[in-house]
Order: sequence, then C-alpha cells, then structure tokens
Amino acid sequence: MGAPRKLAAALLRGVLRLAPVESRDWALAMLRELDFIEGEWPALFWALSGAAAILRHAASAWRKWLKRKTGEETGMNDTGKKVLGVGLGILSALALVGCALAGLRIISILFPGLEHSLWVYWLAVLAIPETIFVAATVMLWRKRGPVAAGILAMVLVVAMHVAVHLTLHR
Amino acid sequence: MKLRLSPQTLLVLDAFLEQVEDWKYGYDLSRITGLKSGTLYPILMRMAERKLLETQWEQGEPGKPPRHMYRFTPDGLRYARANARANSSGGLGQVALGLVEA
Repeated sequence: MGAPRKLAAALLRGVLRLAPVESRDWALAMLRELDFIEGEWPALFWALSGAAAILRHAASAWRKWLKRKTGEETGMNDTGKKVLGVGLGILSALALVGCALAGLRIISILFPGLEHSLWVYWLAVLAIPETIFVAATVMLWRKRGPVAAGILAMVLVVAMHVAVHLTLHR
Repeated sequence: MKLRLSPQTLLVLDAFLEQVEDWKYGYDLSRITGLKSGTLYPILMRMAERKLLETQWEQGEPGKPPRHMYRFTPDGLRYARANARANSSGGLGQVALGLVEA
C-alpha cells in the first residue's frame, strides 16, 4: 500500500472518529469503498472529496443545532449572541490553524523532507492562514461583526506568537 | 418537490434506474456518473433522508469488511421515474454536452 492510499485511509478513519452519529455510516461507507478504488492517487482524491462532504454534513447539523440554541425560544440576549459569535470566530480560526498543521503533515508524508524547508513552513503555517484570516475578517466585518472580531483576535494571537518566536530565536 | 433536481442528482437517479432491483455500491455509482465522492455522497444522503433510497451493509464473506449498498425504495422509484426521464433532455443533456459541470 502506497503513501497516498495510507493517507486516504488515515484521513477517512479520522473523519469517522470526528463525525457526528448521523454521518458515521456514510464516512464508514466511503472508507470501505477505498479498497475497491484502482490507483493510489484516485484513492486519495476519493478520501479528500468524501471527507469534505462529511465535514460539510456535520457543519450543517451543527449550524442547525446552533440556530435552535440561539433561537428566540432560548431567550438568549444580544450580549450572549455576541459572545457566541466571537467564540465561533475563534473556533473557526483554530480549525484553520489545525488544517494548516494537518497540511504540513500531509506534505511531510507525500514529500518527505520538504516540511523542513523554511519557506514551506512559513507558507503553510503563517502566510496562507493569516491571509485567509484577514480576508475573512474584512468580508465578515459588516454582517457578522462578532465572528470577525473572534477571527481578528486569533490573527493577533498568531502574530504575537510569531513575534515572540522570532525574538527568542534570533 | 422532494429533492432539488440538479444535473448531478439527475445523473444519480438515472444510474439507479438501470437495473432498479440491483443493489449498487458508492464507487460503482461514482464511476457510472463520473461524480466525485464529495458530490455523490451528499446526494445519496439526501435521498436516504427523504426515504427515496434504502441502504444496507453487504453481508460478505467472513473476514471481509462489508460494503454499503443502495437501491430505490418504492417511493424513490416512482419519484425517479416521474422526474429523471422527464428531465433527461434538459439537465442530463446539458451535462453530457459539457454545458453544466458534473
């Protein structure tokens, strides 16, 4: 079994662990089909596309749950909604940081040694996530201010982390 | 309307309409329709949620992991017969001609 197929299986197993109960059968179905896919790279693309579908399905269930919780029947006030929005922004930003680290791991499996390259590291962990953070903050600022504020808070935390890192390792 | 009839959904309905009694596997459906797993499975999920599709785990040989299989419910079959063929000259034709991304 080659590295792409191993990675595909690991990805779908990870998704299976994280998936909510209602999506689990589907994630397992995709994992089982992996054995029948001819070719290493098609197997990886199958897993990537399938994992995205399961995560979308889970996100949709989560959104519905959140909508119910923040609905009028719960009587949550404006402050509560704002706090929830900021929390959501921080969580989204943390999820992106997690994706960046996972991306680095995928690079290390597919192209051993490349992850030690300083440029790859800065690009995957800093430049791309920070660009997405800033773009998301600008786009969300008017319509979803608290979420944008949460993301902005993470931008500052990551920027401070980098500044401290550079100062200590100069 | 039970299901949004996108060109991709029509492709899936059409694939199921070939030998309607047979159970079908996800990867086989993906090959027949040319859809990626990320497009195919959400359609299957929606069809199953709306009781248009029944799902089952294959009882395979011992030691061999079971596969998930799908086929129409009677409701699904009626729905597909009423919609898929009627739309085939529109949606499916567009996909075949490359006018809509599959």
